[in-house]
Amino acid sequence: MESHFVQNQWKDRWLKFWAVFKKSRIGIVGLVMLAVIILLAVFAPLIAPYDSSSTESVTIDDIYNPPSATHWFGTDDAGQDVFSNFVFGARISLTVGFFAAFISVFIGGLLGLVAGFFGGRWENFLMRFTDIMLVIPDLPLMVVIVALTKPSLMNIIFVIGLLGWTTTARVVRSQTLAVKSRKFVLRARAVGAGNGHIISRHILPLVMPILVVQAVLVVSLAILNESALSFLGLGDPTALSWGQMLNYAFGRGAMSVGAWWALVVPGLGIVWVVLGLTLLGQGLEQVLNPRLETHHLMPHKPTVEDKAAGHGTGSLLEVRNLSIHYINEGKPPARAVENISFTLNKGELIGLVGESGCGKTTLMLALLRLLPSAGQIVGGKVFFNGADLTAMNDEALNKIRWKEISIVFQGAMNALNPVRTVGDQIAEAILKHEPSYPREKLGARVTELLDLVGIAADHKEHFPHQYSGGMRQRAMIAMALACNPQVIIADEPTTALDVMIQAQILELLDKLREKLGLAIIFVTHDLGVVAEICDRVLVMYGGVTAEYAEVDTIYNEAKHPYTQELLKAFPDLTKPKKKLASIPGYPPRLEDLPAGCRFAPRCPVAFDRCRSEQPSLHELGKSHFASCHLLEESK
Amino acid sequence: MKPENLLEIRGLKKYFDAGRPTLFSRQNKYVHAVDGVSLTLRRSEVIALVGESGCGKSTLSLLLMGLEEPTAGNILFEGRDITHLKDHERKELRRKIQMVFQDPYESLNPTQTIEEIVNEPLQVHGIGHSKAERDERVKKAMEDAGLKPAEVYLHRFPHELSGGQRQRVVIAAALVLEPEILLADEPVSMLDVSIRAEIINLLAELRITRQIAVIFITHDLGSVGFFADRVAVMYLGRIVEIGTMLEVLEKTQHPYTKALISVIPVPNPRLRRERIILQGETPNPIDVPSGCRFHPRCPVALATCKESDPPFISQSKTHSTACLLLVK
Repeated sequence: MESHFVQNQWKDRWLKFWAVFKKSRIGIVGLVMLAVIILLAVFAPLIAPYDSSSTESVTIDDIYNPPSATHWFGTDDAGQDVFSNFVFGARISLTVGFFAAFISVFIGGLLGLVAGFFGGRWENFLMRFTDIMLVIPDLPLMVVIVALTKPSLMNIIFVIGLLGWTTTARVVRSQTLAVKSRKFVLRARAVGAGNGHIISRHILPLVMPILVVQAVLVVSLAILNESALSFLGLGDPTALSWGQMLNYAFGRGAMSVGAWWALVVPGLGIVWVVLGLTLLGQGLEQVLNPRLETHHLMPHKPTVEDKAAGHGTGSLLEVRNLSIHYINEGKPPARAVENISFTLNKGELIGLVGESGCGKTTLMLALLRLLPSAGQIVGGKVFFNGADLTAMNDEALNKIRWKEISIVFQGAMNALNPVRTVGDQIAEAILKHEPSYPREKLGARVTELLDLVGIAADHKEHFPHQYSGGMRQRAMIAMALACNPQVIIADEPTTALDVMIQAQILELLDKLREKLGLAIIFVTHDLGVVAEICDRVLVMYGGVTAEYAEVDTIYNEAKHPYTQELLKAFPDLTKPKKKLASIPGYPPRLEDLPAGCRFAPRCPVAFDRCRSEQPSLHELGKSHFASCHLLEESK
Repeated sequence: MKPENLLEIRGLKKYFDAGRPTLFSRQNKYVHAVDGVSLTLRRSEVIALVGESGCGKSTLSLLLMGLEEPTAGNILFEGRDITHLKDHERKELRRKIQMVFQDPYESLNPTQTIEEIVNEPLQVHGIGHSKAERDERVKKAMEDAGLKPAEVYLHRFPHELSGGQRQRVVIAAALVLEPEILLADEPVSMLDVSIRAEIINLLAELRITRQIAVIFITHDLGSVGFFADRVAVMYLGRIVEIGTMLEVLEKTQHPYTKALISVIPVPNPRLRRERIILQGETPNPIDVPSGCRFHPRCPVALATCKESDPPFISQSKTHSTACLLLVK
């Protein structure tokens, strides 16, 4: 029963892998190229028209015959059929390639794993040894060793294998280091797991994909090395590999008699296999290494002309019925954002509140059309000072991106370049958007910006790692202010910070708004944070507006059940022993939205209609909107 | 009869070698990560350890887990000194003290199924005579952690679960060993507010159903208010105020605690309080300020605060604070 299940699981993993790999055109081409040669090698006796080991007498007429119907690829210096030799040669070349690569990958993998996992003295010793091996040129060393030993196939396999492990060791070491520092390894240690367990269960499964890719490349390297050795006359004379074929043809006058086929055929074989392996390796890497995913910006695509929309209403920023879908081939579109509207005026601060996956970041990125290409605005308008950003061309939009509307991203740790000083990076942000900015004023401007966000000028020359988390977030805000924008989008700017630093950042944003007349969109999952500084709050759930109102209304007269539940989930320090109310269940996934109200599955007061019909946004009072069927009936 | 104090920490210190500041310095510098912490934990008690990043709370949790060796001081578990243990003794002890980490995205191996993850501790400790027995324990731990019914989750991978569900998996993997102490290092700070309440309620339930004592490490006093029995506020490697939750919240003594409480976001603009926003951040624990460590940021510091290190002063049997303002 158990083994049956385990089998199924492996089958599942394999099927999943195959489903992704199938899509890699490069990988499939490589796989097919390799498969052709492997089939040739395996079925060599059936495929080859002549037996190369036959001792039939050869006459002078048989030597270097050009390709013909009896000898498709001609004959060689010994009068043997080149095609037959090519097919049997594939056996030898592949055998050497695979066995030597096995040795290399085993040694390299082991050394890399030990060095990366145990660190300290072991690592020092092993990696210096690896460095030395890397510096020594492989081929000359192989030539010397093979020349000193008997040139048997076995010796060649060992020499190639024993010298080809260096890159594998380095790759495996760096991957091991990366995996070792991850939290789940620390957790396994806390559970009490020993080194053996951690290596086999946690390190190896994550090193394996890289090792597989590396192995494929090492095989091609081994085949090349074997060919080179054989070509130099150091191969096993009894084993006719492709390299050996080249050696014989070259050494026995194929060039001078114009018998190109004797050289080209084995040469092409080598190129074919190496190319196939390289393509396969690249294909595997695409599947196994998620970091290679590409990210394209949203293409310029003016949306469907909506005649009624016309112009904005004179607000600084007005978002009107904006809808964004993620369009993936073969799947129904993910309705990430639907019919969101809000307005923002100079000096105002609006809070955009929602759980992760509710579409709030998608909405913000869409304002400046910065979404990946799958994300498309399928309806609605965004007006900035009366101009429609959704219909603008890229050139016009670039004048607004950062200069008029800028973004403070979450996770300030990753958004700064670690090898350049913070001052430099701010100066760069200014120049990128205003290339003609006078250079002599640049330093003063950077100081001014840092001063604005409360960083002393002497920190200008410091690197990001010398900054604390709070200071990095301040630096990010300074960068967003670089071009005197009118609107700042702050995407979870305080989420990863301590409460005290969070309070400092909130105080800073509030001050900047007053001092510079900034309009700010504050994106967060925490209703508590926005209560302190916002004018208006938009609560999003599953891509739609749940409730939109003045800040006081939201906290004291919330009408939507989601807002009400969210407020109840807050610990109340004035009644500390009260049990926290929680919202059961989880937010909906965008690919799998419920048919009716998106909150219905978690709503404590949902009734039948909520499960079948999506509620529309009801106006409940002056600038107070909520989408809930209950509110319609109460009217 | 087992001793009443499940865990006792006495004068625990951990200094990390920071090397010599320059090539010509005589002495090495040290990071004073934990600098003399004493604390007791009773059976099924919940203690909140509160402080900003850099206050040493995470180092303290690693010391308690035996993942770091302390520089000085002792840790006693059920009266037995566990400060320095041999590997097999440490492994045995790990069954009693388990940890829940901050980031549920990072603390699960993406290549393992939920069943493998929760079953792993049993394998490591060789617990259970048959597969059926282990399966039963895995199932019970998962359902106690709120993953009901367990069958739905067993064969899924971490990336198929939401953040809250992943944190439940981490908790289940800790519960499966039936520990007596759960060390929770910021277990909810990466989660959405609506999910936070669920995880905190879960921990509160576990102390009742499984008699587990919890050390809840957090920077946000607001998130533990309702279920902690006692609160210890840490600053720069030391505890500055400790007391029952109500004492610390309502009879706050230390200016640092007062500031921390004042900045907890209140979800209502009508209840806006005067916030005491401390400027700057926790100083570098390499060069610890003289006298009271808090004096450079303290809004009410006296001249003497620069010179003398404040002693602990008791306000009640359970409440004590280290602040010179309280010295009469």
